[in-house]
Amino acid sequence: MTRILREKSQRLLLLLPPLVVFSVLLILPLGNVVDQSFRVFEGGSIGAAADAHLTLLNYSELIRPTYLFYFIQTFRIGFVGSVLAVTLAFPIAYLIARMRSQFWRGIASGALIALISVSTLVRVYALLLAFGPVGYGNQLSAILGLGQNSAAYTEMVVLAGLVYFHTPISALVLIGTIQGLNSELIEAAQSLGASRWKSHLSITIPLCLPGISAAFLISFTVCVSAFVIPLILGKGKVLFVSNLIYNRFSEVANYPSGSAISVVLLSITLFFVVIVPWLFTRLTAASSG
Amino acid sequence: MARVLDDILFVALLVLVAVIAAFLIFPLIVAVLMAFDARTYLGTFPPHGFSFQWFYRFFNDEMYMRGLKTSLLVATISTFASAIIGVTAAIALVHTRSRARQALEAIFLSPLIVPTVVIGFALLLFFSRIGLFIGFTRLLCGHIIITVPYTIRVTLAGLVGIPKSISEAALSLGASDWRAFWTVTLPLARTNIFAGTIFAFVFSMDDVSVSLFLSSVDTYTLPVAMVGMMQSQFDLSIAAAAVFLMVVMTTLMLAIDKIFGVNKILVGK
Repeated sequence: MTRILREKSQRLLLLLPPLVVFSVLLILPLGNVVDQSFRVFEGGSIGAAADAHLTLLNYSELIRPTYLFYFIQTFRIGFVGSVLAVTLAFPIAYLIARMRSQFWRGIASGALIALISVSTLVRVYALLLAFGPVGYGNQLSAILGLGQNSAAYTEMVVLAGLVYFHTPISALVLIGTIQGLNSELIEAAQSLGASRWKSHLSITIPLCLPGISAAFLISFTVCVSAFVIPLILGKGKVLFVSNLIYNRFSEVANYPSGSAISVVLLSITLFFVVIVPWLFTRLTAASSG
Repeated sequence: MARVLDDILFVALLVLVAVIAAFLIFPLIVAVLMAFDARTYLGTFPPHGFSFQWFYRFFNDEMYMRGLKTSLLVATISTFASAIIGVTAAIALVHTRSRARQALEAIFLSPLIVPTVVIGFALLLFFSRIGLFIGFTRLLCGHIIITVPYTIRVTLAGLVGIPKSISEAALSLGASDWRAFWTVTLPLARTNIFAGTIFAFVFSMDDVSVSLFLSSVDTYTLPVAMVGMMQSQFDLSIAAAAVFLMVVMTTLMLAIDKIFGVNKILVGK
């Protein structure tokens, strides 16, 4: 009895440091952001005064077309970027998962991991050089028929950046899915006379759908809150929602407005990370039985 | 006939993968080669001649070196703190009943879900409100909260893998709880704790979003200095800085992958 009590108090003692850290560095600051997002903006100070009036203005102004534009732009580029990333990742993952030699499979997935582990900023800078005037920016923008400083070309470069970052991660997710497939099903289809490519279309891809949608959901969620990629590659011409939050701080110092945008971005992220997967499992459970 | 078509499609797959691989690798090759360009101005790719001048400039630039020093200090101290917090949290979690454990795990891993920009913005507002204006402490706190989920996750994965019977054996042989933990459990989880720590270090060195909010005029990290350079002037010393970071981080990450497996940390399984 005393032993159990002692263990329980020990456990609480162990939980104390992480709970303090998470309260002070995550929960209180986020709570403060929610509070600030309902306060009236007064210029000049960091954060609204403690007795500032409550208001919904910080949220209602986000529905104005100027702000809505940035939300739509973020979703549009993020959606296209993650669709392209998963599409490009699938053939890579397929090839690696089906490699016979374990040695080459190790080398290939090692190369993917090496690519992911290159610092975010280094990869963004590499893209900036390669797609800019130093690299092949002149030729590429000419082929696309766009001016090199046009917003449309900048958007293409931001899109290329999202695809560049999410293709290797999606490939890693998909390798697991494809390796987990029951290869007997494919062999059975082939022995029944289906050609290899036909058996893939009718068996491999449908069986991989849960993995494909997981990879898409991961990369879409991360794309929507992307910050560094649009910050550097967007050159101020293409802004994502994250960049708006940063501008609220660095340019106009309107903290209540920045707080409202943060709350909206956090809600969007939680929707895709918590609610969508939950709905998805409910739906698949309902359809399978 | 079907077999011929199969072969053609397989070759097409190989070509497709080669094109995608080229897209993924080529920009890095451009950046690495340009870092060794001998021209004193920013010319077009490919570089002319070979020189270390941009590296010389990088290592002799006050702004970069200040940033590098801050980055290394912040990363080392915050990693150490995260490792301790991560280990205590993980030990408490393995001994907690399943429902409370799920809730606690959700809280402890939540910084992975909250967009880093939101974390940075929230911390900036909060620190200003409570009157914390010391740049270094601000950065340190920000880096602890973004790295601690990794140390918790990786340590927890290690502790879960240790059969309970081993520490029970130590207890039944008369060891105290503390001794059983210190001499049996901890050494068995050592690899994971180590891997989680290196990962936290790499993640701290890599961070841009949180640091950008918490940096001040005289205290900033290397990535923040690089962002400033990229926005103000376009100079190949950034390429040299990039090559430097790339060599350091990739070595560390490949080391963790050898020990532990990076995809387990990234994908979570």
